[in-house]
Amino acid sequence: MKSEFMPYHFSKQHGIKLPRRSFLGHASLSASVLTFGVTAPGVLCEAASLAKEDRILVVVEMAGGNDGLNTVIPHRDDLYRAARPKIAIDSSDVLAINDELGLHPAMRGMADLLENGQLSIVQGVGYENPNRSHFESMDIWHSCYRKDETRQDGWIGRYLESEGMASLTDPPALHLGKRQQPFALMSRGVRVPSIQSLEQFRLRVADSPDIRNAIRSLSNQSREDATDLLGFVQASSRNALEASERMESAGVKYKPSESYPETALGRQLETVAKLIASGLHTRVYYVRIDGFDTHANQPDAHAVLLRTVGDAVSTLVRDVNAQGDGDRLLVMCFSEFGRRVAENASDGTDHGAAGPVFLAGNGLRSGAVGKHPPLDDLQNGDLLHGVDFRQVYAAVLKDWLKCSIRPVLGADYEPVDVFAGS
Amino acid sequence: MNLMNVEPSWAWAPYEPSLESPWNLSAAAHLFRRAGFGANRQELEDALKLSPSEVVADLVRAEETSDFQTEMQSLLRAALATGNVRQLAAQWAYRMLHTPAPLLEKMTLFWHGHFATSAVKVNDVRLMQTQNTLLRRHALGNFKELAIEISRDPAMLLYLDSATNRKSHPNENYAREIMELFCLGEGNYTEQDIRELARCFTGWEIKRNRFRFNRYQHDSGEKTVLGIPGVESGEEAIRVVTDDPNAPRFIVRKLVRFFVLDEPEPGDELLAPLAAQLRENAMDIGPTVQRILASNLFFSPLARGRKVRSPVELGIGFLRVFDGSTDFFQLADALDQLGQGLFTPPSVKGWDGGRTWINSSTLLGRANLIHRMLNGEKTRFGKQSLADYFAASGVDSIDEVADFLQSSLFAVPIPRPATERLRELARKNQDSTWVNLAVHAFCTLPEFQVA
Repeated sequence: MKSEFMPYHFSKQHGIKLPRRSFLGHASLSASVLTFGVTAPGVLCEAASLAKEDRILVVVEMAGGNDGLNTVIPHRDDLYRAARPKIAIDSSDVLAINDELGLHPAMRGMADLLENGQLSIVQGVGYENPNRSHFESMDIWHSCYRKDETRQDGWIGRYLESEGMASLTDPPALHLGKRQQPFALMSRGVRVPSIQSLEQFRLRVADSPDIRNAIRSLSNQSREDATDLLGFVQASSRNALEASERMESAGVKYKPSESYPETALGRQLETVAKLIASGLHTRVYYVRIDGFDTHANQPDAHAVLLRTVGDAVSTLVRDVNAQGDGDRLLVMCFSEFGRRVAENASDGTDHGAAGPVFLAGNGLRSGAVGKHPPLDDLQNGDLLHGVDFRQVYAAVLKDWLKCSIRPVLGADYEPVDVFAGS
Repeated sequence: MNLMNVEPSWAWAPYEPSLESPWNLSAAAHLFRRAGFGANRQELEDALKLSPSEVVADLVRAEETSDFQTEMQSLLRAALATGNVRQLAAQWAYRMLHTPAPLLEKMTLFWHGHFATSAVKVNDVRLMQTQNTLLRRHALGNFKELAIEISRDPAMLLYLDSATNRKSHPNENYAREIMELFCLGEGNYTEQDIRELARCFTGWEIKRNRFRFNRYQHDSGEKTVLGIPGVESGEEAIRVVTDDPNAPRFIVRKLVRFFVLDEPEPGDELLAPLAAQLRENAMDIGPTVQRILASNLFFSPLARGRKVRSPVELGIGFLRVFDGSTDFFQLADALDQLGQGLFTPPSVKGWDGGRTWINSSTLLGRANLIHRMLNGEKTRFGKQSLADYFAASGVDSIDEVADFLQSSLFAVPIPRPATERLRELARKNQDSTWVNLAVHAFCTLPEFQVA
């Protein structure tokens, strides 16, 4: 290879960047114009008209097996109180969902979302022949397959792959957290970064504006004669630096509309909000909160956990709405199993089966969805599931992410009816 | 020049230096980057005293010295004692940086990506290291032997849930991967072949972290694999699979992608001479690798700068060029964040490489890794600062730094405006701090990401 230098053109910075909010306004306008023709109806901001690319899923994994029965509580049911003489929540304390059901009193955040019509509670979610091992059950939720089946990838990974996201320049999904990457995000073709903090999305340079400017302008120059590969790298570099700058300016400009709870989950979801506000094209964010394995002294610990989730998720939903991106957001909170109906001798509960899944965002059918599992029809002391977890995934995939179910779930599951107008 | 028009006979013929394609620092640096993890200026100059084919032959022949092995054994003991996979990864990064047999190490990394096994699931650093040692022992050896050994490797079998394989319930997982990912490639076998192959492996078990053959669980019935009847044992079955004509094609394709170019995908015709050679050599890997590295195609513009640096190549390569050393634990951590965690590949398919290394998060991470190594407390270049290292090598100005980087570290030309811009910057920073600034800036260029 000769060492002749490639011709260069110093390209000017592209036009003034609109803040994400106003940009989005235009994006949804043009998307709906495309969908409905020139006579766009006055539902420009409705979720149904949102481009596929603008839809975001935030998954909150509640690890350890959340006690669903003390989360969505059939407080008027005598069998409930009888099974849990010490840890039952009193009717006067619950936050009403409807006549029969109430939320745990610590879930003020979720109750607020419910009042705003932004929370769908899918009841009795599980699967046939439930496994009570944390790892195995979590793997089943993540991969949709059981141990004796081949399982190399997770459902979100397969979604990213089937939608051809290997070549997006922004990460198609992000895992926020220190722990190992969730199996759900694995796939053969799409790699998902795990980041612990926004620091990892910031270009570190010596404290010198000169060098920062130099790096930016040098990566921006167009390279003629570049190979396809180098051209790809150059385009990606430009995107990366732009994303980093967006992030930094988002860091400066982005002001949470209210303060997030001072919890690890709160900080992670604030980061998610910041990333969304910065205009990153990432579709899926994954966070995890551990500690739901409440075998002993459950009441206080469980209250703290539920408050943590409820407050963080409701803050996220309100904040993203205040930033103007509310219609783009869906949050899903799940756990690998619920817990035994009867309390144990240590003021706790042991591993069980079916439990509730929470979906939060605009455009949902708000309230309790499906039937609460009956307390007089148990299987080995556990609640029977009425909804397969893959039906929840199916709804998320088909009605929210607007993609086909079969390549991701391996079969056509009937989506649970949680989206308004679906 | 276009890969589609390349004559296979020319492509794999030995490279003869010429005026158009000289054997110079850049060519030698290209060879050392691909066959290993880069080389310092002295190694490059020494290489130029020999012919390219002699240098390649030396690389293939090189072995770890006993001093080096002793040093590694004590590092390894310390890493294993922690039980921490990141310590084990740090230890391997150290080995890659300092090994006197870089091609052996590069091939060990190749096989780690090929027979990908993750500590995340295996959850036992000793078993991971046992596998790593196995891969190194066979790295340039015979593929058939390697395939049989890896099929008895506890980490592999735990990873693919094949630790118990009973007559009544043969586990098809490992049989499938042997055909699909390890030996033949998708489409070169039937589902029936997988079922039959799985039966051959019945009775293969892992007991107390060791391989054991349980003849009471072995299905000794009639089995036919890939059209060959009367296959009895797992060993025989692997021989049948590795004797299949698709096996050399599959392995050669992967080697060419690993050593020569990410894209475009070469056609079967171009690969045919290599596949034929591998087959004639009874699947001995060394001679085929040697031929690839000493070939016309390897030194042609179709190969130069036609690969994306993997995170390992980027991190280790950066240090090796300047005789650097750094905090290896941090480095191992960074490699993981950049998508190439040693001992923790993402799936049994290993790393896809090429463009998949690159996205906005990893590009920033790559630039930040260079920044962190340059300015890290534990980082030294030949036991000193980079500025002092350059000064000792007679590299004093920004243009000399650019020249140094161009010949040792960069596979494609550093854009002239970059050097000009950084010259201004250097002028403003009169003290030696400009060296780290400039090297970091050069390494954020898109040109640095390819090699």
